[in-house]
Amino acid sequence: MITAHIMPLTILLPLVGAYLILLVGSKYRLFARNAALAITGATFAMVCYITYLVSSHGKMSYYLGGWAPPLGIELRADPITAFLLLTFASVSFFVVLFAYDILPGEIKGKVVTRYYALYLVLLGSLLGIVLSNDFFNIYVFLEISSIAAAALVAVNGDKLAMEASIKYLVMSTLGSGTVLMGIAGLYMVTGYLNLDFLAGALPQAYANYPLTVSMTLGMLTVGIAVKAALFPLHVWLPDAHGSAPTSSSAILSGLVVKVYIAVLLKLLYRVFPLDFLAAMPLQGSLLVMATLGIFIGSIMAIRQRDIKKMLAYSTVAQIGYVFLGIGLFSEKAMVGAIYHVFSHAVMKSMLFLSAGLLIKYSGKRTIEDLSGLGRIYPIPMVAFSVGALSMVGIPPLAGFMSKWYLGWGALEANQLPFLLVLLVSSLLNGFYYLPIVIGGFFKPAAVAIKEEKIPLGAQISLLVLIAATFFFGLFSNIPVNFLTPTVQGIFNAFGGGI
Amino acid sequence: MSDIIVRVVTRLMIPYLQLYGLYIILYGHNSPGGGFAGGTVIASSLILYVLAFGIDDEDLRLSPSVARIIESCGALAYVGIGLGGILLGANFLSNKAAGFPLGIPGRVFSGGTIVLLTVSIGLKVASTMITLFVNIAEKEGEEES
Repeated sequence: MITAHIMPLTILLPLVGAYLILLVGSKYRLFARNAALAITGATFAMVCYITYLVSSHGKMSYYLGGWAPPLGIELRADPITAFLLLTFASVSFFVVLFAYDILPGEIKGKVVTRYYALYLVLLGSLLGIVLSNDFFNIYVFLEISSIAAAALVAVNGDKLAMEASIKYLVMSTLGSGTVLMGIAGLYMVTGYLNLDFLAGALPQAYANYPLTVSMTLGMLTVGIAVKAALFPLHVWLPDAHGSAPTSSSAILSGLVVKVYIAVLLKLLYRVFPLDFLAAMPLQGSLLVMATLGIFIGSIMAIRQRDIKKMLAYSTVAQIGYVFLGIGLFSEKAMVGAIYHVFSHAVMKSMLFLSAGLLIKYSGKRTIEDLSGLGRIYPIPMVAFSVGALSMVGIPPLAGFMSKWYLGWGALEANQLPFLLVLLVSSLLNGFYYLPIVIGGFFKPAAVAIKEEKIPLGAQISLLVLIAATFFFGLFSNIPVNFLTPTVQGIFNAFGGGI
Repeated sequence: MSDIIVRVVTRLMIPYLQLYGLYIILYGHNSPGGGFAGGTVIASSLILYVLAFGIDDEDLRLSPSVARIIESCGALAYVGIGLGGILLGANFLSNKAAGFPLGIPGRVFSGGTIVLLTVSIGLKVASTMITLFVNIAEKEGEEES
C-alpha cells in the first residue's frame, strides 16, 4: 500500500505533522521538536524510498482521486525530481537535528511550537512543488511556501526581521501573482493545466496566439526569477536571509530559493517547445542576468561586515550559477545546474548553521569578531571552512564538481566567456570567504568568548554535512550517473539542444 | 463601543448570517459556494459580534484556543477523508472509485465525500479567520495599553 501511494503520503506527512504539532504541542512544549525531528526523518526515509523506486522502475505517476489528467491532478517523480526531493528532505532533516537544542535559546519560548509547524508546512510545500505535474497545484504550493517562508523570517518579531519579512512577502507575492498570470495565460490558450498536456498543445497554441504565449513565458520566468532571487530581482533576499533565525536562514537560503528553479526546469524542459524558446530572447537574458548576479552578488558579499548578510549575498551569486547552467542549454551545464542546487543546499545550510553557532558563542555578527574562534570551537569553524572552500571551488569538495560540470557545459555550448566568468567568480568567492577561515584559525580572539558545550545534535548535523561535502565531491559520479540519462533524454527530444 | 443600535442589529443578524454560511457550506457541491466561501461568512458573523460587543465579551462562545483546535482538526479531517480513499483501496481523495455512495444529485447528502470535505474546509477557514482577527485585535490592544 505504501509503495503505490508513496508520493501523496510524502507530501502529506509533513503537512499532517504540522497540524498535529499545533494540536498537541500547545500543551506539551517538548513535543514539538521531537515530533518535528521524527517527521522530517520519516519524510527523508520516504524520499529515499521514492528515489529507490525511481532508480529501479523509472518514472512514477499518481492520479489524485483516481482522476486521470487532464481532469485530475497528477503527481510525477522522475530522476531529476527524485534528486531534488532527496536534497530538500535530507537538508531539512539535518537542519531540524541541528536546531534541536539550539532553537529554544534562539527564539521566544511560546513560538517554538508554531515555528516547527511552519517549518513542516514549508517542507511539505517544497516537496509538493517538486512532485506536482499540474500547474495550478504547483501555484498553490508556491503560495504556501512563500507565506510559510516569510513567517519563518519574522518568527522572532524583532524590528529588522519584521521589516525584511514584509519586504519578502510583498516581493514574493508579486512574483506569485506574475506566475499566476502566466498560468492563466497558458490555460487560456490551451485549456490544460497538466504539464504534459500543455506541452502537447503549446505548438498549436503558439501558432494561433504567438503574443499570448510569449507573454506567458515572460511572466512565468520573471515571476520565478523574483522568487528565486535572480539579479536584479534579489533585493529582498539579503535582508530576509540575513535577519532570520539560524535554522530559518539555512533552510531559506539552502532550499526555498531552489524550489523555484525546479519549477523553471519543468517549464523550460517539459512545457515550452524548443523552436519557441529559441525564438525568444530568453537564453541571452538568462545568461546576462546570471553573470551580473554572480559578479554583483560576490562584490556585495565582499563589502559586507555582517557574516549572515555576507552569506546571503553569496546566495545571490550562487543562484546566478544555477541560472547560468540552465541558460547555457547544454547537457553538461544542466547536470551542473541541478548538481549545484544540491551542493549549494548542503554548503550554504552548513555555512549558515555554523555561522549561527559562532555568532551564538561570540555574541557578535561582524566578521572581524569571529577570529580565533576556531581554537575553542573547532567543529563549527571547520564546518564553516569546508563550506567556504567548497564555495570557492577547491577540489575534492562538492562545490568544485558543480563548477566543473558548469564549466564543461560552457565548453560544450561553445560559450567560452562563461568559463572565464566561473574562474573569476571563484576568485571573488575566495576574497570574502578565506579571510574568515584564516582569521578563525590563526588570529587571536577579538572578543571574550563564552566556552560552552556544543549540543550533540548540532555536532552530528555539522559533521554529516561536512562528510556529505567531501563525499559528493569525491563520488560525484553517483548522482551524475543517476541524472544524466534523464537530462540526455530531454536534449535528445530537443534534437541536441539549442 | 456601547451603541445600542449596533448591538441590537448585530444580535438580530448573527443567526441569519450563520445559517446562510452553513447553507453555503452544505450546498457547496450542488450550487456555487463551498467550504471557503461559507467558512468566511460564518467567520464574518463572529467578527461582527466581536466588533459590536468587544473582544473581552464573556458571551463570546468561540474562544481563540478552541478556534485553534478546530482549525487543526479541520485540516486533519480533510486529510483523514482523503486517506479514507487509500484505505478503501483507491487513490488519495478518491470518491466514487473508493466506494463512497454518491446519492441522488441535487440532494444535500449526495456527492460522496465532497460534503464532508467542504464541511472540514468550512471549519478550517472559519476558525482561521477568527484566529487571525482575534490575534490582530489583541496585538493592537496590547500596544495601546
